[in-house]
Amino acid sequence: MNLIGTARLALNRIWSTKVRSLLTMLGVVIGVAAIVALTSIVDGASQGINKSLATLGTNQLNITSVVPDALTEQDAKALAELDDVSVMFMQSQNEGTIATESNRVTARLVGVSSEYFYAVKPEIALGSYLSQNPAATNSRDVVFGADAANDLGLTADMLGKPVKLNGQDFRLVGVLDDQAGFGTSGRVYVSLDSARRIFSQYPYVSSIVIQANSAETVDSLQIAADRLLRERYGLGEETVARYVITNQASLLSAVGSITDTLGLLLTGIAAISLIVGGIGIMNIMLVSVRERTREIGVRRAIGAKQSDVLSQFLIEAIVLSVAGGVVGLIFGEIAAFLLAIIGDWTFSIRLDTIALALGFSLIVGVAFGVWPARTASRLEPIDALRFE
Amino acid sequence: MAPKVVELQDVRREYQVGDQTTVALDGVSLSVERGEFVAIVGPSGSGKSTMMNLIGCLDRPSGGQVMISGSATKDLNDNELTQLRSRSIGFVFQQFQLLPNTSALENVMAPLLYQGVSTKKAKQDATNMLTRLGLADRLNFDRNRLSGGQQQRVAIARALVTVPEIVLADEPTGALDTKTGAQVIDLLKELNAEGRTIILITHDLEIAASAPRRVFLRDGIVERDERGRK
Repeated sequence: MNLIGTARLALNRIWSTKVRSLLTMLGVVIGVAAIVALTSIVDGASQGINKSLATLGTNQLNITSVVPDALTEQDAKALAELDDVSVMFMQSQNEGTIATESNRVTARLVGVSSEYFYAVKPEIALGSYLSQNPAATNSRDVVFGADAANDLGLTADMLGKPVKLNGQDFRLVGVLDDQAGFGTSGRVYVSLDSARRIFSQYPYVSSIVIQANSAETVDSLQIAADRLLRERYGLGEETVARYVITNQASLLSAVGSITDTLGLLLTGIAAISLIVGGIGIMNIMLVSVRERTREIGVRRAIGAKQSDVLSQFLIEAIVLSVAGGVVGLIFGEIAAFLLAIIGDWTFSIRLDTIALALGFSLIVGVAFGVWPARTASRLEPIDALRFE
Repeated sequence: MAPKVVELQDVRREYQVGDQTTVALDGVSLSVERGEFVAIVGPSGSGKSTMMNLIGCLDRPSGGQVMISGSATKDLNDNELTQLRSRSIGFVFQQFQLLPNTSALENVMAPLLYQGVSTKKAKQDATNMLTRLGLADRLNFDRNRLSGGQQQRVAIARALVTVPEIVLADEPTGALDTKTGAQVIDLLKELNAEGRTIILITHDLEIAASAPRRVFLRDGIVERDERGRK
């Protein structure tokens, strides 16, 4: 019998025992749905992390002082003169008390030099940003991150109203749209000099951020920046510096490898349920072979070859498994879609996920269908015909 | 003389059960010519089922030679034996043995499809055969919706559709009432009259009497080989 005829027999059998077939598929349905949904969660998570990291700016090196007097404005200016530096900005930050007439909270107060705006390009939800006029470094304007604004209970009509930072008078000019930020949404921004005055930090800065003009030059810039600072402070190669340079690219790749490992782990767990599903199919197929021993005998008597019987049972197992895979894929994608809405990441149907789901279920069907099918094909016709 | 379609020469068949050897056939010789109608008769344990299995190419002899349509079954592997069976033998079973969840038409098409005949041709031949046996209005019925007599006619159609050299009927009336059983025997006679070779296996002497030649088996040997109407 040709393959189409054999496939028709297998399908006919599956159709005539619908409920049982559905239950048999269930294991594979759950396994595949789990793989698809978990893959999408890992995708979404790494998407979210990368997006958050991107809000910090790209191609950046962050030089953070470990002690309050490690870095000065002069260091920052020298760093800005290095080759390949496109933007440099300074930050001065500390915990501070922020108060309106009715409320009082503690938040991270960040003083930023005027270039911050160009490097990070923050989105404004309400009002405006700090003045970018380099002459206005001493302005008493303040901009809130979204979470900080929420914590303090700021509303739109409070724009232009006074806010006290560590007891000093400031004026609220804007609120950022930075919910997706990498934990930076609770910050409150003022000009660099204002912050340094509040914290009595002059002439030091907490951190210097330099941005390389391309991704390729970040690593060499990191070495150059370190060498420059060591020269300025007369530090040898081996001396522990009082600052730390972090590279955002290395942070990104670290996050990437974490999410990859997480993905592998979760897929591995889901694959176990797929294997359990395969064993379920094998179990039912073995029962089915026994139940249908007489039918197998009759088929052999009327001219079915061993290979005809083998392919009939193997196709049945494969169809059950792949159909389970398709149903699981649909459920998994629906789950992924809902999760994407809840987790606020972009939902996309990935071709490699589809290939993975169908490929896995095909492999499961073949792997767990072979034994029952071989058992069926190797029955002796006379024994099978006589079987009660 | 018509060619011999079945030729058994000193056939032995032994079964090993545990460390006991049971002899089912103990040196049987028999030949059947094309167009004959032979009843193989014997009580249970006489070896007639073993004989049916050997003639039906479902089994191979332990000793001696079984020739079906000129081929010695002893030397064939499973695949070749299946092909010989598919080409030369049409089975009719006591319990009809229609395939489950399968219409009358699909049952009759199955042997043709296993031979590699196209679906279209198989459908045509099967429809013709069922129509000839008076089942034109039952083509799409499965076995649950057919009476015993109808099921046996479907089974006969299935046995005939490949135009086999031999129709091998194993107690074909065993599960039918007397009247329906008689109709089945009449159908077999009719087919024999058209030139088909019929081998009927039965323990029932009355049924056996309807065959012009009767081979009596007992304890694995041929006791008597009678010809002529009684």
